[in-house]
Amino acid sequence: MKVKILRQVHPGSKPYWEGFIYDGPTDISVAGMLDHLNYNDDIINDKGKATGRIGWECSCLQGVCGACAMVINGVPSLACETFLKDQGKDEITIRPLRKFPVIHDLVVDRSAIHENLKKTDIYIGEWQQGQDRDLDHQYLAAKCLKCGLCLEVCPNYADGRNFYGAVFANDCYIVSARNEKKSESIKNSYGEHFAGGCSKSLACVDVCPMKIPTLASMAKLNKKM
Amino acid sequence: MNGVLVIGSGISGMSAAIRCAELGLRVTLVSPFPSERSQSVMAAGGINAVREGNGEGDTVSSHIEDTLKGGAYLAGEKEVRGLCEGSGAILEYLESVGTVFSVDENGKTAKRAFGGQSHRRTYYCGASTGKQIVSALIMEVRRFEAKGLIERRLWSCFYYALIADGTCHGALIFDEVSGKLEALYADAVIMATGGQNALFGKTTGSTQCDGYTQGKLFLQGVRLKNLEFIQYHPTTLETGQKRMLISEAARGEGGRLYYEDQGRRVYFMEEKYGNNGNLMTRDVVSREIFLAKKDVYLDVSFLGKEVIKKRIPEIMELCAKYRGIDITKEPIPVAPSVHFFMGGFAVDSFHETNIRNLFAVGECASIYHGANRLGGNSLLAAVYGGFTAAQEIAGRTGEYKHPGFDGYLDRENDLLAKKGKTASRFPVAYIRDMLAKTMQNDLGIVRDGQRLAGGIKDVDYLLETAEKIRYDSSVMPYFNYSLMGILTLARAVLTCADFRKESRGAHFRSDFPETRDGYAKPTIISYEGGKYLAGLEKEDGG
Repeated sequence: MKVKILRQVHPGSKPYWEGFIYDGPTDISVAGMLDHLNYNDDIINDKGKATGRIGWECSCLQGVCGACAMVINGVPSLACETFLKDQGKDEITIRPLRKFPVIHDLVVDRSAIHENLKKTDIYIGEWQQGQDRDLDHQYLAAKCLKCGLCLEVCPNYADGRNFYGAVFANDCYIVSARNEKKSESIKNSYGEHFAGGCSKSLACVDVCPMKIPTLASMAKLNKKM
Repeated sequence: MNGVLVIGSGISGMSAAIRCAELGLRVTLVSPFPSERSQSVMAAGGINAVREGNGEGDTVSSHIEDTLKGGAYLAGEKEVRGLCEGSGAILEYLESVGTVFSVDENGKTAKRAFGGQSHRRTYYCGASTGKQIVSALIMEVRRFEAKGLIERRLWSCFYYALIADGTCHGALIFDEVSGKLEALYADAVIMATGGQNALFGKTTGSTQCDGYTQGKLFLQGVRLKNLEFIQYHPTTLETGQKRMLISEAARGEGGRLYYEDQGRRVYFMEEKYGNNGNLMTRDVVSREIFLAKKDVYLDVSFLGKEVIKKRIPEIMELCAKYRGIDITKEPIPVAPSVHFFMGGFAVDSFHETNIRNLFAVGECASIYHGANRLGGNSLLAAVYGGFTAAQEIAGRTGEYKHPGFDGYLDRENDLLAKKGKTASRFPVAYIRDMLAKTMQNDLGIVRDGQRLAGGIKDVDYLLETAEKIRYDSSVMPYFNYSLMGILTLARAVLTCADFRKESRGAHFRSDFPETRDGYAKPTIISYEGGKYLAGLEKEDGG
């Protein structure tokens, strides 16, 4: 199997494509494949030259931490949950998420997600049982990995300066559902940094590895507007 | 005041940071990645607590007794009492900051039964208790970030503690973005860096928990405790990327373990332990699977599709996704795997190590679980430990004067740069791989003196090799410099396992299969003059 990876040595350096030949097991995820390529004595590219090991981020390797988000054959995905056998072709192209600055190879800096939540005071404070008793929805929204896949596919999210994306909308929902006293201030932030800019492509819903019902979060927050 | 430095941002680290901030201390919360990537998010089961008026006759005393008994009476009674007495307030706290706990049909927080416990006292959030607690605590940390009391530092890895005259003054941190070491001075440092997974290669836990901090600080004079006690989870599934945990729920719902012998299914747990054999404690089931020396399977297919879909959907999904196994029709091939480390930094009741102002909390500290841990007690201990350390630090007064470590900083920066300026491709991953093989072979579920001696010899050789190699310039520097610490910790773990010539809790020696009165105390190991010195804990904790 041919593997093409968009690489970058340092934050400021020029990205370049490098090819590899993968001859390991095929009933494996992209995460498993990256490990396989990296854990040989030398890592050799498709020109037969020794090269540097491929940088990528991982922690849980089972789809609950969001570390390994990357773009695989054009689809933003978690590498640990994307399988070679489902790719439908004998070639695989991998690049880092485009909406975030690259640190090294496939490792990106997603701190903009947290910075935006911090800037807008998205925290519960003290839980108050309110009108929203939909615990299943709150539970799902709190499963957000902050992986950034929803921002990668979003046609409205650029660099997180004004529009903060689905990840922000879902956290806004949790706060407003868990502390009604904060509903008022939340809806202002939500209006300014989400509702006003969302063109409702809903690509974020399709790509979310946790299957968070973002549309339902939006519907509830819009009602409060 | 230079404030408090917390290393690690999972549940224990965040709990410590939050309580410090509540008490008015300034905190720097250091981690390479955000809290969403911590191993805490993988804790599925639940958190133990005894609340007043639980209506089921459960008492704090029963929780204490269950915890002490589960740990084969190696944990301190006083510390376990504190933990259990604090559990109700911790549950209330977690609710108050917005954790989405599961509720029963009456809207009250729901509980489930866990192995080894006399009462149902494990509160939970669906199948992702750890994740839900992490999400709530992240918001709470954010509240204090907004107030300027907590500052998060990402892309930052622990390198070395700044210790002079038995007191800790801060830490050297490696910044992955700038590629430089930086000294962060603090009046107290709290280690919250999790378990020691990297010693064993791929385990059920996170790749980020590698044991480096324990190994490095051990070399700096910090004592470690009970390292030989490692919990194996009996039912894990091999996949192309890691060993996946098949939750105890599969057996709780009726799942049966068997192996095949001449075309016949042998339900070995039931044959030996009766009808409830499949639900024996984790160490017993793990040992029996190991001793079977055959491919072991877990069968739930007879429960029927409906029951499986309703009761254990996440297990069905996991097996289908990662192995293409339809558990409604096929058995699950299972084997035990390393799951939790009862050992770690030796700490006192306030979570302070033998170095003044250096604390440790969460899985990296050894305090409440003795020789084996009960399910539901690790999340509780993570929060309780974090709070306890913070409380102690906030209660201390006095101005701290920090000696200069500048010369040291320059020297280490030069050393790192020099080691990194190389075309060497000698892969650190290779040595880590060899280490994992040694540890799995020689420090398995069933141990003996001969194998342990072989393991010690092999790790000594790896240590000697690692000292000479230059860094693999194409991987993150942390991966390179952490190697020596990881190997050192492995050597210390093997030494402790060799020292304890008995079987107790999760430590089983085939050459000493009995529990012996002479070993009814924790193991303490220290590093002095290049030697690994293991012994039983003395009255003063030394």
